[in-house]
Amino acid sequence: MIVFDDVSLSFGRQELFKNISLNMRGGKVIGVTGANGAGKSTFLKLAGKIIRPDSGAVNFPADKKIAAVAPEMKIYDNLTAQENLFFFAKLRGKTLSAEKIYELGERVGLDLKTFGNVRAENFSTGMRQRLKFAILLSVDADIWLLDEPTANLDDDGREKFFREIQAAKPDKIILLATNDRAEENICDEIIKLPL
Amino acid sequence: MKLSNSRFEQIAAIVQKDFVIGMRRRATFAAMMMFALTAVASLSLSTGGIFVEAKFLAALLWVVIFFAASAGISGTFDDEAQAGTLPTLKLYADAQAILFGKMIYVLLSLVALTIFILPIFLILFDVTAENFFLLLATILLGLIGIAAAGTLTAALTTSATVKGGLFPILLFPITLPIFLPAISLTELSFTGGAFDSSSLVVMAAFNLILITAASILYDYL
Repeated sequence: MIVFDDVSLSFGRQELFKNISLNMRGGKVIGVTGANGAGKSTFLKLAGKIIRPDSGAVNFPADKKIAAVAPEMKIYDNLTAQENLFFFAKLRGKTLSAEKIYELGERVGLDLKTFGNVRAENFSTGMRQRLKFAILLSVDADIWLLDEPTANLDDDGREKFFREIQAAKPDKIILLATNDRAEENICDEIIKLPL
Repeated sequence: MKLSNSRFEQIAAIVQKDFVIGMRRRATFAAMMMFALTAVASLSLSTGGIFVEAKFLAALLWVVIFFAASAGISGTFDDEAQAGTLPTLKLYADAQAILFGKMIYVLLSLVALTIFILPIFLILFDVTAENFFLLLATILLGLIGIAAAGTLTAALTTSATVKGGLFPILLFPITLPIFLPAISLTELSFTGGAFDSSSLVVMAAFNLILITAASILYDYL
């Protein structure tokens, strides 16, 4: 469970969040919606303790590990797809076999038998998004922070993504920041942020 | 400052990743090597045939190492920030593992730089290191100090708008307590004069302070 305890955050004079208290439980997909500038991405960063609130506290058990798919979370362009997967998995103490990498590729719709040794700089935006998605699946995190995760995916990619989210949600806390109807539809609960 | 097994694995992964990217981009290594080579060659040509004192040569060696290192170290965190990979790295890796991974990568880069430039320096200036082990020990301790101070300074200046100018300005005073004994010991290694081992101890102690301070401060960046 992620707990927001009286959380406030401002950027300069703009007060984004004021005295927010809420509990977010696992086992469901929690959507975070709101207009542009409402603070959806910032909400996710607070939830993952990537940024600190001005006052109040965000708490979740210390042993819970976080993974994210977000526009500002880039992968290494100078590394191949396989090297990116190996690297991020290694950071979480996991060693991936070639078979596991191919399986991850199949799950996200990225042919890693063909493109595994291609540097990410040569990938299209959609392929990079699929690779980020494969990294998310590989690191075995407890909390998923997803910021407009299907923005650059085609229908096949979106379908695969939604399927994986549904399969993963019983064991995880999944926060999904979105303005996309299809993404909202897979959420079990919605937190709507006022502008 | 306690490093668990998983942190060691993370450190090793970060060092390996930085080396792979460094070798593929080549620009950072090339900038360091070319600066060092150009500086040593031009200084050697301009002092050709003139007797140069050992103390001056020792200072010259460390000036070349310092500025060549500056050219390479400043991008340690900035390259990641520019590429947008720093937030991802911070999410997946422990902060201390990032710091020590970067620090070890910088140190190994500086060792490679020194292996490249030291023989050229000794040949072009016609210097014989009378006490080669003292020279190696001094250089190693000096490089550890530059790597520790440089990595912390690179982390500090990542978000600054004038980082190019700020980096050497901040780095120089932090590394000065390393340079003074390093120059003195390097001179003694060239001349073969008697040296006081306490200077080596001072360098080692200052390195330990730098590494500890970097470890404590990095959590707040």
